Amino acid sequence: MVKEFNILLGGVGGQGVILMSELLGRSAIADGMRVRGSEILGMAVRGGSVTSIIRIGDDVYGPLIPQGKCDVLIGMEPSEGLRNASYLSRSGSVILNTTPIIPFTVSLGQSSYPSLDQILEKLNSVAGKVITLNAAELAKEAGSLLSANIVMLGALFGTGLLPIKVSTIKESVQARFPAKVAPVNIKAFDLGYQVSQQATK
Amino acid sequence: MKELTISSDAPGERLFVLGNEAIARGAIEAGVQVAAAYPGTPSSEILETLASVAKELGIYVEWSVNEKTAFEVALGASICGVRAMASMKHVGLNVAHDPVMTASHIGAKGGFVLVVADDPWAWSSQNEQDTRYVAEQGYIPILEPSSLQEAKDMMADAFKLSEQFGHMFMFRSVTRIGHGRSDIILGPISRERRKGSFKKNPSWLVYVPRTARINKPLMLQRFEAIKKAANTLPYNELRLVDGARLGIIACGLSYSYALEAVKWLGLENKVSILKIGTPHPLPEELVITLLKSVKEVLVVEELDPFVELHVKAIAGEHNIKVKIHGKDMVPRIGELSTRRVTEAVAKLTKSKLPVDFAALDKLEQDSGPLLPARPPALCPGCPHRGSFHAITAAARRVARELGEGVEPIYPSDIGCYTLALNPPQQAVDTTICMGASFGLACGMARVVEAPIIAHLGDSTFFHAGIPPLINAVYNKANITMIVLDNSATAMTGFQPHPGTGYTATGEETASLKAEDVARACGVKFVEVVNPFDLKAATETIERAIRFPGPAVVVSRGLCAMIELRDKKKAGVKVVPYHIDQGKCSPKCETCIKLLGCPAIIKQGDKKIIDASQCTGCGVCAQVCPYKAIIQE
Repeated sequence: MVKEFNILLGGVGGQGVILMSELLGRSAIADGMRVRGSEILGMAVRGGSVTSIIRIGDDVYGPLIPQGKCDVLIGMEPSEGLRNASYLSRSGSVILNTTPIIPFTVSLGQSSYPSLDQILEKLNSVAGKVITLNAAELAKEAGSLLSANIVMLGALFGTGLLPIKVSTIKESVQARFPAKVAPVNIKAFDLGYQVSQQATK
Repeated sequence: MKELTISSDAPGERLFVLGNEAIARGAIEAGVQVAAAYPGTPSSEILETLASVAKELGIYVEWSVNEKTAFEVALGASICGVRAMASMKHVGLNVAHDPVMTASHIGAKGGFVLVVADDPWAWSSQNEQDTRYVAEQGYIPILEPSSLQEAKDMMADAFKLSEQFGHMFMFRSVTRIGHGRSDIILGPISRERRKGSFKKNPSWLVYVPRTARINKPLMLQRFEAIKKAANTLPYNELRLVDGARLGIIACGLSYSYALEAVKWLGLENKVSILKIGTPHPLPEELVITLLKSVKEVLVVEELDPFVELHVKAIAGEHNIKVKIHGKDMVPRIGELSTRRVTEAVAKLTKSKLPVDFAALDKLEQDSGPLLPARPPALCPGCPHRGSFHAITAAARRVARELGEGVEPIYPSDIGCYTLALNPPQQAVDTTICMGASFGLACGMARVVEAPIIAHLGDSTFFHAGIPPLINAVYNKANITMIVLDNSATAMTGFQPHPGTGYTATGEETASLKAEDVARACGVKFVEVVNPFDLKAATETIERAIRFPGPAVVVSRGLCAMIELRDKKKAGVKVVPYHIDQGKCSPKCETCIKLLGCPAIIKQGDKKIIDASQCTGCGVCAQVCPYKAIIQE
């Protein structure tokens, strides 16, 4: 019997959120688990907010995480982390990329972007644990800015909470990318993994 | 081992899929031979998936010019004895409504399935209408899945049921089915390929009044037979709990929420559940059994109280005394969720809520003011940005001459360009349905003294823009019609259309040009402009607005996403622009205020261009009064 485990990814169109959920879903199935999930496509690809949901477990039926039942919330960008905070369970963890993506509404003066401290204060008040990392910096270190989403995926596994084997997800990452860029992505995964493993200790 | 794909004939294997892929897989397993559609979120990936395996599996797949034609293509194939399907979004069904209503009199020879995707909460739509009423109007049975596995299985069965009863079946999806993800267990793929044949039979196929009178009773008979069979179809399932006070009737995807809610509240042994997979016709015997066994019933369904009203009718007809709840307990607007159903069930069973939802709502309310608005926007490099700059500049110039306070009117349409509703463009005054921009403009021109500049995209033009264009010519409407031609059905995922020169399966074909169509329809002013050349585009559009009578301007620039993809493939480097801070004035925000390009970012008083987003389109350089924006 696989226990219910709910992951919510919140980000911005173009950040590779959908790819992350595909890798998670395939890996869960490879490990013999059932997967449910959902995403909002369409309008979201034009720079809007994107959420993707992956739910693992034998007793999971619906495509959406019930509010209050999210085990790990991945904020691919600070404000998108906060935007989805109401889904967290009391013991839920947040993995937050601290590099903001400022929407054009801020440049136009129609809205303002909160400080990281404001966001962390709110998240800390509701989450069991908040792990922060600068995914862009780690992605650069790995060899490509484009691998920031894989850094975040590594950080998700570094928590040690997931029912999916680390070797399985790494195989999925390896298989998903052309041989030329696969090592960069594996390195990105490892860097993210280490950060959250350290933070979890 | 060969990697498992959507076309693998590997019964029993598990594949991780998108819901629309599951629907396509069901059709593949059934041996569908003809599939037609017009793109529309959340249905587009069904046909895209079929197109990707069409040649391999010997399926004919097409993007039709609109949903009406797609439906007719599928109907034509079914009449000739071949399994066929048409897929569309809910509002697409409105376009196909005319043939659908008579096709149900015809029924089906080859298995015939109409797939319609509803969009509760209107995530990507102009409304959230409930398709089930249309099915009821046409005596069309509906199959509605509760999961992706069931979506695949039902879709495969739909073709068989259609042939068994000689009737068209509707498959109803919703956003969270089509854009859901799950593992599914594959079934065997039918390799049967039939040769179509047409047998003349006017009393079946030629709908003069007599034919309608002959076929309506036959249609009703078929529907009655399906109604009886609904009680034993595996998609309807009654689980009675001894002594249960409450019964839940849950339709389609709502069943998954109901199951989770009941488990969350620990009521598995206290609540009876009737799962509905055929909301029309309902499995009447199962409904009656449930109604007689409980004191109260909660009907759980998304959007309108369709099942609820029919259940109430059944209770009334059979004189069953039971309190029936539905839309008094679960919302009529938007999507349902486990939470919404949990709240309703908790209220009816006087159970304690498993989570303090009010606290979560408060968190959301408190966080709201902190969060920046992040609406979707025209992409960096989008040709529409230049088009709208030119349209509004030209229109304002003409309006000013007409007098104080005269404002140009911009009837718009359905596509990426609808995003110009937002500042800074604000050039979208109406969006109703495909093609309505030109139609509304024809009416406005009769009653308002102002420049009327209607616009729609290239795919929309071919879909529904040509009849109102002809109307404008015929009735001499003094309007300007702009075709924003980015050579793609961009909003739904860059599907090809009659202007692109290739088909759904990648074959080369004729490429129709909007300007040729407009000229052939008798428009006297027809010009093509380049939206990246602001000055020339503005001048031409101004002449079009001043032209007495209908005028057409085609503003042609390739979709930035496609252009970037093509450049990447060809190894052509994008050369971004940057802002010379020595020339840029800290007080000036012309580029931001006029264009709202996501690649131009304000940092304090400083403006910079994000090189990773800039496509090098150069429109910002043309509006900068200080000539401070230069290409690297």
